[in-house]
Amino acid sequence: MKHLIIGNGIAGINAAKTIREMDESARITMVSDEKFPPYSRPMISHVLDGSQPLEKLPLFSRDIYEDLKISPVLGQRVTGLDIDARSVELGDGKRIDFDRLLIASGADARKVKARGTELENIFYMRTETHVRQQLAAIAKGVKQALVLGGGLVGFKAAHGLLKRGIPVTMLITSDYPLAMQVDEIAGLMILDELKKHGLRVKVGVSVTAFDGDKQVKQAVLNTGERLDCDLVIAGKGVVPSLDFIPRDRMDIDLGIIVDDSLMSSVSGIYAAGDVAESIDIVRQIRWINAIWPEAAVQGRIAGFNMAGRKVRYPGSLGRNVMRVYDLDVMTIGLANPEESQGFETIRNGGAGQGYYRSLMFQDDILMGAVLINRIEQGGTLRSLIENQIPVRVPRASLAAPGFNFKRL
Amino acid sequence: MKQVIVNPEKCVGCMQCMLACATAHSRTLQLYSAALEVPRPRPRVHVGSGLFNEGFPNRCRHCDPAPCQMACLTGAIFRDEVTATVVINPDRCINCASCAMACPYGVIRFHEDVFAPPGKMVAVKCDNCEARVSRGEIPACVEVCKTCALVYEEMDTIMKKKTDQVAQTMSAQAGRPAVPDSVALYKAAKQASLAVGP
Repeated sequence: MKHLIIGNGIAGINAAKTIREMDESARITMVSDEKFPPYSRPMISHVLDGSQPLEKLPLFSRDIYEDLKISPVLGQRVTGLDIDARSVELGDGKRIDFDRLLIASGADARKVKARGTELENIFYMRTETHVRQQLAAIAKGVKQALVLGGGLVGFKAAHGLLKRGIPVTMLITSDYPLAMQVDEIAGLMILDELKKHGLRVKVGVSVTAFDGDKQVKQAVLNTGERLDCDLVIAGKGVVPSLDFIPRDRMDIDLGIIVDDSLMSSVSGIYAAGDVAESIDIVRQIRWINAIWPEAAVQGRIAGFNMAGRKVRYPGSLGRNVMRVYDLDVMTIGLANPEESQGFETIRNGGAGQGYYRSLMFQDDILMGAVLINRIEQGGTLRSLIENQIPVRVPRASLAAPGFNFKRL
Repeated sequence: MKQVIVNPEKCVGCMQCMLACATAHSRTLQLYSAALEVPRPRPRVHVGSGLFNEGFPNRCRHCDPAPCQMACLTGAIFRDEVTATVVINPDRCINCASCAMACPYGVIRFHEDVFAPPGKMVAVKCDNCEARVSRGEIPACVEVCKTCALVYEEMDTIMKKKTDQVAQTMSAQAGRPAVPDSVALYKAAKQASLAVGP
């Protein structure tokens, strides 16, 4: 059986490992546009903030491809998929045919729509190359950084730059930061924590152009205001990488639509990771939760199914955890107030109390949680949400800071 | 391969396993000196009280597949091939808390530890007392447990015992109770005190 895997991120690697576990003789080819060995994407923010060296990014030994008997095709992007011939075309014109295909091509950083983005020192934060370039720029000296976007990536970038002693201004299009992930109370707690450490924030604005000679010197806002900056990191979300897929031959929405075996609408072609659109467990609609742990699980399950062992994928659940100075922030499932209308929300703690907890219930089913600090047992809440387990204990007590999760 | 088995019905919540665990994961391995160590040794087993004030020693289940291992961003969490114990490598751990979000039992903690690089916060959880077992000792929590809420047995043996226990309840003259009278009495008293209030 000829297996072809597009992408060497965690979804692709986990699929390859699983196929190899199941089938000693399978032929596995892996295509990636990155030449760097398979590494931990989420860890690049730890490299930016200086807590981890670049050398720690790779997840496996150097011989991972040999160990798993994978034929790697690196530094190549897939440019075409011929569904009838069951082959893909690479950037250099070569073709690779397959019996089973896994599309784990991931997602690319969403491009900033402004003039002058080709100037030097304007970065995205997505790959090992990005963080390497950022570090090189920082080493030459940065006086004022600008972060675009108040999402998780924006916050991680701002946090990392501040920790390196670089003044940061953050521009957010919405009214408060992390508006997609947390409610206003939590968003403002996180914002205050970063402001305490020198972050400047402008809400409700966006950049229309960048100015500079070779390197960026100024950003022009939609308000006409000009901000000095010599380094820009943009975190405006990601878009699935699926340009090479013939849209008339495969069901595609925002991502590749997959069934509960992670197979696309084309038999024998699977998708996993940031490119795959499955069912969101709490929303019960098609959704892409482009997060690392889901990619890891999807890769493994896709691998099993490709190797012929039927394993069901239950759907994905949005979640995230990050540490911002003295705040540990965890969000699971529905946390955005706009989506949780009609739900019962139970809150405890808040600004000035050192912790915050907000739980969203629909009847006795937990649908979402936002936790700030005391997050060690958050996994128990995730499990309640993910498995839709009815909560029988008093709900207010579940939100209490000293709640003992053994009571469940 | 013997493993630690929890009999929650026998736990009285005395928390001695926590002390023993912290001591077993200290530099000096003695309770009194361990209490003075910096960083202070901390337990990997966590006794909490349930709905009826009953104790429960919450420790890592060493799940297979392990959600924490799957969620680990750095590959710091791995399974020891020989003992099947899920282990965290403190040198690779970046304290990101992804494992805390993955663990359905809430058994992972984050703190400085004698086994971690000095001054670094890392994820810490039960290691099945690998160091003790390699010295021919049994896990510290089991050694100290007075009610056999924690036992160290072959899975087959414990399954057989449980099967026998269930079978005995069907006997005309019921055999030995699953929980000793003293433990049952103690637990009843705790539950009653909960009903009465402080």
